[in-house]
Amino acid sequence: MRSIPAGLEPETEPGIASAEGGLVFLDGPDGIAKTMTADAAARTGQSLIDAAAIAEAQRANGDV
Amino acid sequence: MFTERFLRDKRGASLDTAERTRLEAAISEVKTFAARKIIARAGEPLDQSTLLVEGIMSRYLDDRNGLRQLVAIHLPGDFLDLHAFPLKVLDHDVATLTPATVAIVPHAELEAIAEEMPQLVRKLWFVTLLDAAIHRAWLFRLGRLDATGRVAHFLCETNARLFSAGLSDGRRFALGLTQADLAEICGLTTVHVNRVMRQLREEKLCIFRSSLVEILDPAGLAARGQFNPAYLYNNHDVEHLSSRQRPKS
Repeated sequence: MRSIPAGLEPETEPGIASAEGGLVFLDGPDGIAKTMTADAAARTGQSLIDAAAIAEAQRANGDV
Repeated sequence: MFTERFLRDKRGASLDTAERTRLEAAISEVKTFAARKIIARAGEPLDQSTLLVEGIMSRYLDDRNGLRQLVAIHLPGDFLDLHAFPLKVLDHDVATLTPATVAIVPHAELEAIAEEMPQLVRKLWFVTLLDAAIHRAWLFRLGRLDATGRVAHFLCETNARLFSAGLSDGRRFALGLTQADLAEICGLTTVHVNRVMRQLREEKLCIFRSSLVEILDPAGLAARGQFNPAYLYNNHDVEHLSSRQRPKS
């Protein structure tokens, strides 16, 4: 019998961002498809980097 | 005949002659609408349902900023608000996307059909269940697929639906939608859709130009969109048939 995952798992593959026509496109991981201005993309990117650093620290401290 | 495409090629639900005659007799009026006209609004009481004869229509919801999400499109042969028969009101707006011709069936006639022909009521029920199956596929598309997958899935689905209605040869079909419509269907921006269409063309999967869709690689496009037509309950699977094998009316 096939085992069924209990729910969505955290994504382990990075999304792929690309630029075209002065805009940033984020395609994937599955279910993600966004178009952003350069400014919004840069601020989102920084926000992701900041959150990733906090998450890394939480794991290092055993907070998970 | 206004019901020619209704339930055409649907597994176990095609109309027999008596049922088709009764449904034709139930039509009270035939109307034409220009493109981009709202024909029913959420919350308005309804005492009739609408069979789409020609054209493309949409069901949609707008967010607080007025940005639109199309939650369904309807193609010739679809009974697009049959669920309003028991509900008596819609929870979404309905509008034309292209010029459209519709046949109006009063709910009083549907009540009479329920008394006279219970087997026909089961087929009308089938239609609302088919709508629900398509909604499930749209949820999957938006929840699990990337931009290219969403557009690929939608084009495969539309091809299969039009094929069963006799309006696609299995690879080519007219589709009077704009890239902005595709964006509102797939939850993307218009520029994202433009980019995806170019990608599909460059990958030799599909070309959408001048309101004509040509699927160059049906299997490849279906794989890109993770499309499985089983939820459409068609008698004939579109990808396995040539135009000479199209289902007969």
